[in-house]
Amino acid sequence: MAPKPITSPVPDVWYPTLSVFMLAIGLIVTASFFIYEATSSRQSRSLAKEVLTGAVASVFLGFGSLFLLLASGVYV
Amino acid sequence: MRVQWKMGFRFDLLVFTVALLSSPVLSDLILSKVDRRIDLTSQIVRITSTLKVENAGSESVSQVLLAFPDLQVKDLAYLSAKPTEGKGKAKRSDVTLPVEAANPKGMPSALTFYAVSLPKALGKGDSYTFDVLAVFTHALRPFPEKITQADIQLVVFQDSAYYLSPYAVKVQSLSVKLPEARIESYTKLENTKIHGSEIKYGPYENLPSFSYSPIVVHFESNQPFAVAQELVREIEISHWGNVQVTEHYNLFHGGAQSKGEFSRLDYQARPTIRGASAFRYLVAKLPPRAHSVYYRDEIGNISTSHLWGDSKKTELLIEPRFPLFGGWKTTFTIGYGLPLKDFLFQSEGKRFINITFGSPMNELVIDNLIVKVVLPEGCRDISVSAPFPVNQWEETKVSHLDIVGRPVVVLQKSNVVPEHNQFFQVHYKFNKLSMLREPFMLISGFFFLFVAGIIYMHVDMSISKSSASYLVRLQWDEVQAATQQIRNIIDRCLTTHDKLEASLRDLSRTGDVQACKSARKAADVLLKELSKELKPLLSFLQSSSVAGQILPKVEELVSKEKELQEKVMVKHSTVVDCYEKKTGLRDVENRVASQQQKITALKREVENLLELIDEI
Repeated sequence: MAPKPITSPVPDVWYPTLSVFMLAIGLIVTASFFIYEATSSRQSRSLAKEVLTGAVASVFLGFGSLFLLLASGVYV
Repeated sequence: MRVQWKMGFRFDLLVFTVALLSSPVLSDLILSKVDRRIDLTSQIVRITSTLKVENAGSESVSQVLLAFPDLQVKDLAYLSAKPTEGKGKAKRSDVTLPVEAANPKGMPSALTFYAVSLPKALGKGDSYTFDVLAVFTHALRPFPEKITQADIQLVVFQDSAYYLSPYAVKVQSLSVKLPEARIESYTKLENTKIHGSEIKYGPYENLPSFSYSPIVVHFESNQPFAVAQELVREIEISHWGNVQVTEHYNLFHGGAQSKGEFSRLDYQARPTIRGASAFRYLVAKLPPRAHSVYYRDEIGNISTSHLWGDSKKTELLIEPRFPLFGGWKTTFTIGYGLPLKDFLFQSEGKRFINITFGSPMNELVIDNLIVKVVLPEGCRDISVSAPFPVNQWEETKVSHLDIVGRPVVVLQKSNVVPEHNQFFQVHYKFNKLSMLREPFMLISGFFFLFVAGIIYMHVDMSISKSSASYLVRLQWDEVQAATQQIRNIIDRCLTTHDKLEASLRDLSRTGDVQACKSARKAADVLLKELSKELKPLLSFLQSSSVAGQILPKVEELVSKEKELQEKVMVKHSTVVDCYEKKTGLRDVENRVASQQQKITALKREVENLLELIDEI
């Protein structure tokens, strides 16, 4: 079997675009999380909704910041 | 035999004894033809010898010995043998013959031997031709050893005019190629010819084994004598698509020492005369598609560099901050990124990086080269295959987003020349899922932030749980929650009203009385339910002690809404009645007009109340 070159799972040229979009989505979800935290009262708050929003926001922010690092040349 | 060579000064050359050995030679090989070419055009001395071995004995021989005087061996950086190309002998030039150190008995102690293994044993009368390339560093001795800025640099090279060999040599010749500059002097033997910048010795015929005749060439050489005392190359692999190479150079000019003062003015005005021995730039040949190239030192970026490239290579020309004269030192760092797919490969379940060992700099001698291959976190079963012996150990390096640190393979070799710029491989096993470590760390970092927010909002931080103000606040929270629920109910009532209005509009358009009636029925049911839900909340507010401020407004809101509800119902039934009795449109409008006014007024009041409650 001849050696097969290894490439990155995502083409390098997509990194800036991906980071912009994922960070934008992540920040929007983060904003909605904090708006929910600030506006809902202690009784009417649902823990599941908070954790879910937080998880979705952190996935988008996590991948967004990873791609931001990669796009700016910090290859982790 | 002690050789002295006079030219106004004396050289202690090689202390060397050519004892016409009484001990028998190992095998009955003879060298029927030896052709040596010494290349002195750069600071690195390359001696290429084409040897034709012939077996004159009866036993078959598979090894040929090469002899080097100890004095030369300490400078020997690279030695390789390969079959001579062409004439149908061996056409593949990438085949090399194995060379290993040998220690035959009964040989002079001042000599070091290497044995070349032939591809097949030579039988009686057989012959074989191969090339031996020996590369020496620091073999050119500057003479005089100290020069001023204005002087040219003269160097001395010593070797033997005869090929030093444990075998008898039938025919041999030697040519010494010098840089295109002045030749101060050279040893004249019989059959010495000079042709331009090339000196030819020989041919000499039928010389016994261990023949030696020292020659000395003294000539001008202003080639850059760039020597890296230490070069640390760090090759960092990221599976996200990059191989980052960082090279830390600790460079000095290995030629004649500079003495006296340095005048920048003289140098700037006439660099070729006042500074001929200095070198001002270096050229590095980087692999193609190198990107993000930088050149800096401790102070910061060094702007005097040029980069150009094509599909085959990238060339980087760097100028140190100052021209380097003999003995002057400089340190700097260059770095560049390379695309992953050019260097990282997968084969048989293992990944391996295939990258060159030496420095990309042209004609650079490296006294101590350290190559560090930084693999991604989570690599296992690491093994190295290098084309020549190197010292090797492992380290770990903690870098961006690491938990336990990345495994680092360190390869160390001293006395490295451009010939060592060969590919080496580091094999390792890697699980693809390990790539998700970095994003997972970032994700969990952000997630902890959110969890902290959630905990902060949920945890009751007050110290005294029984104080009056605390209890009031708890109650106020409950009141707020109840008010919020009431608000939601009122909102739903208002949307139901809107729906009824919409059904009326549909009626005026289609005249479908039944549909309108069913909409009314649904609305009735819904409103009844909502008012049921409203009751406990209201009674809770009434019983609460802290709701005093908000209660009247809420009650007013509820009553107004009820009123509005009634009016809407009345209007709805009126209109439906009119349609059923088929009264004229104008009549309907007249009847409804007054009701409509009240409804609008009430609606406005309800909205105002809602805003007020929100503010509280």
